[in-house]
Amino acid sequence: METLSDEILMQKVAEGNLDLLKVLFDRHHKHVYHFLYKMSGDSMLSEDLTQDVFYKLIKYRSSYKNGSFVSWLFTIARNNLKSHFTRNQRHHEDLGVLEYTSVENESEGAEDHSQLQHALNQLDVEDRELIILNRFEDIRYEELAEILGSTPGAVKTKVCRVLKKLKKIYLENI
Amino acid sequence: MEKNHVLELIPEYLDGVLPVEIQKQVEEHLLKCPKCQKEMEEMKLLFNALDTEVVAVPSDRLKAKFEEALEAEKENMGQVVSLTSRKRSNWASNLLKVAASIALLVAAFQMGSLFQQQKVDENISVLKDETLQMKQTAMLSLMENQSASKRIQGVNYIDEFEHPDEAIIKALANRLLNDENDNVRLTAFEALSKFTSSETVKNVFIDALGQEKNPSIQIGIIEELVKIQEKKAIDPMKKLLDEEETQPFVKEQIKTGLPKII
Repeated sequence: METLSDEILMQKVAEGNLDLLKVLFDRHHKHVYHFLYKMSGDSMLSEDLTQDVFYKLIKYRSSYKNGSFVSWLFTIARNNLKSHFTRNQRHHEDLGVLEYTSVENESEGAEDHSQLQHALNQLDVEDRELIILNRFEDIRYEELAEILGSTPGAVKTKVCRVLKKLKKIYLENI
Repeated sequence: MEKNHVLELIPEYLDGVLPVEIQKQVEEHLLKCPKCQKEMEEMKLLFNALDTEVVAVPSDRLKAKFEEALEAEKENMGQVVSLTSRKRSNWASNLLKVAASIALLVAAFQMGSLFQQQKVDENISVLKDETLQMKQTAMLSLMENQSASKRIQGVNYIDEFEHPDEAIIKALANRLLNDENDNVRLTAFEALSKFTSSETVKNVFIDALGQEKNPSIQIGIIEELVKIQEKKAIDPMKKLLDEEETQPFVKEQIKTGLPKII
């Protein structure tokens, strides 16, 4: 069971073998959490949203259609994050649309954050998301393209460009 | 390659995901190009930072909650089975409703067609009466026709009437007694012989026996009268026996027939 691909496992889950979701959870929940944490800077919120991602996996298991599992998983995660902030934005009109709260603004204190995080926070949301997904969660260009609705070549070029941008900010602050 | 910088390839080069050949070309270029070398060194720093970034880990609460939710869903799945069976009974009652409505439809249709049928029957019986009356008129008028064959045709119309009324019987008797044509008389006799239970017909036969000259009609009448054992026929038969004109085989017929009428 441990060696089967995500896609085959999810297929079996969709057919009703719910226990295999545990394997998928063990494989991926840390990445999902980490992505959400890096994007929102809120550990409690990230846990809740991760929870919700896997609830949705349980709920909508039969709608899984053989695509890349990781792409599907992170598409759900992104949508969760987006809808959370759109909801919040509706309650607090002063917040910018989809302008996720950066980790810096959290009450935990700036000292806890590395120079890298500091640099990351200066990227705009889209670029930050791209780097986090590609560099921290090890999502390949093909899957990224699927998540973002783009082509692998375009994604590769964009990642390269953002890396340069990030490098510049990072080195300036060292 | 020397003039083309490899800046775009550096991230992939550091990841070690380039094809071996391109990897070599990048290496060669890096040796000659200080600009790209600098870029690579800087990128290395960034990658290092990215790799050593502390990874935040979720608490165990997350896993516990997930497994809780999974168990709940598994129980739900069990309920789904019972739900579907409830659905099935629902489906059965729906089927009953459909069946009932179909039955109602059929019943209504049957009722309708029954009433329709009754109406049609009434119409048909009225029509039948009308046609019978028309036939009777036609029959009676045909029997007065000059042509003997038309008169026979008219007499033969008797087949159409199961219960002919007095007018028809009288018309037929008139033919039997008074028609000048033998064939018409014979046909009239044959028609009347079906109604020998009628008193009128019996009297007509007796009358006809007294005046009929055609032997075949005579024999026919004698046979019929013997069959119905008509006592009143005895006198005219005896009279026929005495007459010289009477054909011998007619007399023979009377002789065998008379003893039977007792």
